[in-house]
Amino acid sequence: MGRKKKKQLKPWCWYCNRDFDDEKILIQHQKAKHFKCHICHKKLYTGPGLAIHCMQVHKETIDAVPNAIPGRTDIELEIYGMEGIPEKDMDERRRLLEQKTQESQKKKQQDDSDEYDDDDSAASTSFQPQPVQPQQGYIPPMAQPGLPPVPGAPGMPPGIPPLMPGVPPLMPGMPPVMPGMPPGLHHQRKYTQSFCGENIMMPMGGMMPPGPGIPPLMPGMPPGMPPPVPRPGIPPMTQAQAVSAPGILNRPPAPTAAVPAPQPPVTKPLFPSAGQAQAAVQGPVGTDFKPLSSTPATTTEPPKPTFPAYTQSTASTTSTTNSTAAKPAASITSKPATLTTTSATSKLIHPDEDISLEERRAQLPKYQRNLPRPGQAPIGNPPVGPIGAMMPPQPGIPQQQGMRPPMPPHGQYGGHHQGMPGYLPGAMPPYGQGPPMVPPYQGGPPRPPMGMRPPVMSQGGRY
Amino acid sequence: MSLFGTTSGFGTSGTSMFGSTTTDNHNPMKDIEVTSSPDDSIGCLSFSPPTLPGNFLIAGSWANDVRCWEVQDSGQTIPKAQQMHTGPVLDVCWSDDGSKVFTASCDKTAKMWDLNSNQAIQIAQHDAPVKTIHWIKAPNYSCVMTGSWDKTLKFWDTRSSNPMMVLQLPERCYCADMIYPMAVVATAERGLIVYQLENQPSEFRRIESPLKHQHRCVAIFKDKQNKPTGFALGSIEGRVAIHYINPPNPAKDNFTFKCHRSNGTNTSAPQDIYAVNGIAFHPVHGTLATVGSDGRFSFWDKDARTKLKTSEQLDQPISACCFNHNGNIFAYASSYDWSKGHEFYNPQKKNYIFLRNAAEELKPRNKK
Repeated sequence: MGRKKKKQLKPWCWYCNRDFDDEKILIQHQKAKHFKCHICHKKLYTGPGLAIHCMQVHKETIDAVPNAIPGRTDIELEIYGMEGIPEKDMDERRRLLEQKTQESQKKKQQDDSDEYDDDDSAASTSFQPQPVQPQQGYIPPMAQPGLPPVPGAPGMPPGIPPLMPGVPPLMPGMPPVMPGMPPGLHHQRKYTQSFCGENIMMPMGGMMPPGPGIPPLMPGMPPGMPPPVPRPGIPPMTQAQAVSAPGILNRPPAPTAAVPAPQPPVTKPLFPSAGQAQAAVQGPVGTDFKPLSSTPATTTEPPKPTFPAYTQSTASTTSTTNSTAAKPAASITSKPATLTTTSATSKLIHPDEDISLEERRAQLPKYQRNLPRPGQAPIGNPPVGPIGAMMPPQPGIPQQQGMRPPMPPHGQYGGHHQGMPGYLPGAMPPYGQGPPMVPPYQGGPPRPPMGMRPPVMSQGGRY
Repeated sequence: MSLFGTTSGFGTSGTSMFGSTTTDNHNPMKDIEVTSSPDDSIGCLSFSPPTLPGNFLIAGSWANDVRCWEVQDSGQTIPKAQQMHTGPVLDVCWSDDGSKVFTASCDKTAKMWDLNSNQAIQIAQHDAPVKTIHWIKAPNYSCVMTGSWDKTLKFWDTRSSNPMMVLQLPERCYCADMIYPMAVVATAERGLIVYQLENQPSEFRRIESPLKHQHRCVAIFKDKQNKPTGFALGSIEGRVAIHYINPPNPAKDNFTFKCHRSNGTNTSAPQDIYAVNGIAFHPVHGTLATVGSDGRFSFWDKDARTKLKTSEQLDQPISACCFNHNGNIFAYASSYDWSKGHEFYNPQKKNYIFLRNAAEELKPRNKK
């Protein structure tokens, strides 16, 4: 938001730190989320009201306000909308907001997407706010080295070279932000507007070309470009890149689709780095989900320097739905394949390693046996007789299983070695098992069914 | 008499409107139980395409087998045939004409099963288990697409042992879906790639994952003109993301929703969050079903952004689901998915496949 209004003027919910446009909406929110009886879903007006209702009607005590962040769960505080909020909490809120407005000038916010219905709680994920961070990190260093006199024209020419090295590294950083941008575009727009407000529209227009094609443009860069480019330019550039028109601010949605397309060469290398960024991001994201700081204790993430600041501000700004019911706050700690599966409010029912359930299961010796269930081979033979009658091509069973064209089965495929530890030690002998026409199941009754099958099979070619 | 041998008393051909009135919760929804279900967890389900009259269901299981049933309109399920791999079967799909079934397995191969001859031949080879398999029918080519934990996506002409094309994936393939001309692959480390299949398969875009946790399942949905326009992606964290490829307003159009979580609004108990094991879109209504480790299935309307229904809780996770070609039948498999690790695996526990009439329950809500 580019508004200068302080949060104290804008209604917010004491229980979960969410913002609202209107006090009426805030009250509706409180009634639905915090003052709603979990047994009969009746909406009360206050915390104490809820407690009394539960006691009288259901004979049940509750000791904390539902969906409230830790520290704000006091059931006895009579809060209604903005009334009743303790003074010290108001002050704390104001302080947080001031901090946030400082940071948010440079940052882009991502929108939280909303969920299906009320009961599944409020807005959920935010689309990678973190990638924005690297940008942040870039800006200051870039601006400083060669461009102390930012607005100063004399500073420009010397500014250009320093800009060069700075810019390309930024490029890779940009695209990961790109896809992340779209979701939050309308927010970004506000920021960039204010940005431009501070720094003059003109540089924006000039910046366009440098956006997508910085290297080629370098020689031709008009004076006056470089200095403004690094600082104000970077974030707006992300949009500029795509749009390359002075009307960037008004057209962010359009480019997003276009952006990735023109930059395939850039996106490829980016994906892995984005992956890493995300991996590192998981930490803050986890904490982002929970303004409560209990996750940091469990998260092993060493956040980038910019993260803590960002996290702190996002904690207050993103109207995170960190109700107890909501965020799992289970953050995936980067590549070292472990998940943080437990948090104060939720538990991920999943083994700790960050590999898929199937991978985990397939590692078991039981599932790695090359040969099908024992006893298949012998059993498989007799039935082959009748089947063989049914299905002419049965000269060599192993061959049948192999690819018809060049298929030296064992030679070609048997040689493959395990990509993953413990997987089937390559052999293709199994193919020798023959037409696995239910061999293991041939035990008893099968004959009749076997006999049945041909008619079934050959019916009209259907089967 | 069941073609599949002794599995249980359910060997009788026929509807199992079992009157299992015991307190066991294996079928709280009272749905039709498929006879002769596999002996180990069911990893994948697939119904026959509209080109085949009637409905045939294919299921791949961790018992290394692929089974085929005919599902009659009465609800009766008749086991028809079975094939084996030498490793657990992770994915199955049909050819467009309904004559072949493709199966992908942990034995690093994929096979083509000709149902008329009841023969299966190997058509693909990877260096690690093959996790996904899809049949692509393009105007100018047809092939099988296999995704594997060896980080490759390979395309196979079933007549040759060499792949037509090999595309590198950033990480192990965890799930994929294909509706021509679009394919989506989700990988480990939250990778997400969209492919366009016109002329020949090529990578279209790598997408920053809308989810913060491991990808588990993905399903493409279509727009009103029946063209693929986006996908639903499920993670292990009880959440599904609806993502459009080229939406007019990504911030507004794309969203995620939570699902498959235990009731956590009680302030005291931490919420249990389960993995989303499968997502399937109703072919007619465009609404979707999700199945989770919590043993429930839910129906959702993504346009109205509401939940249509959630089932009762089964006593086992629901590991797979699918709709038949006209959306009248919703099949879901109840078997252990390893979500609680090895300790909770009970090999004696029966695995079920249930069929439910889906014609009514998945009608979309009226848009607000």
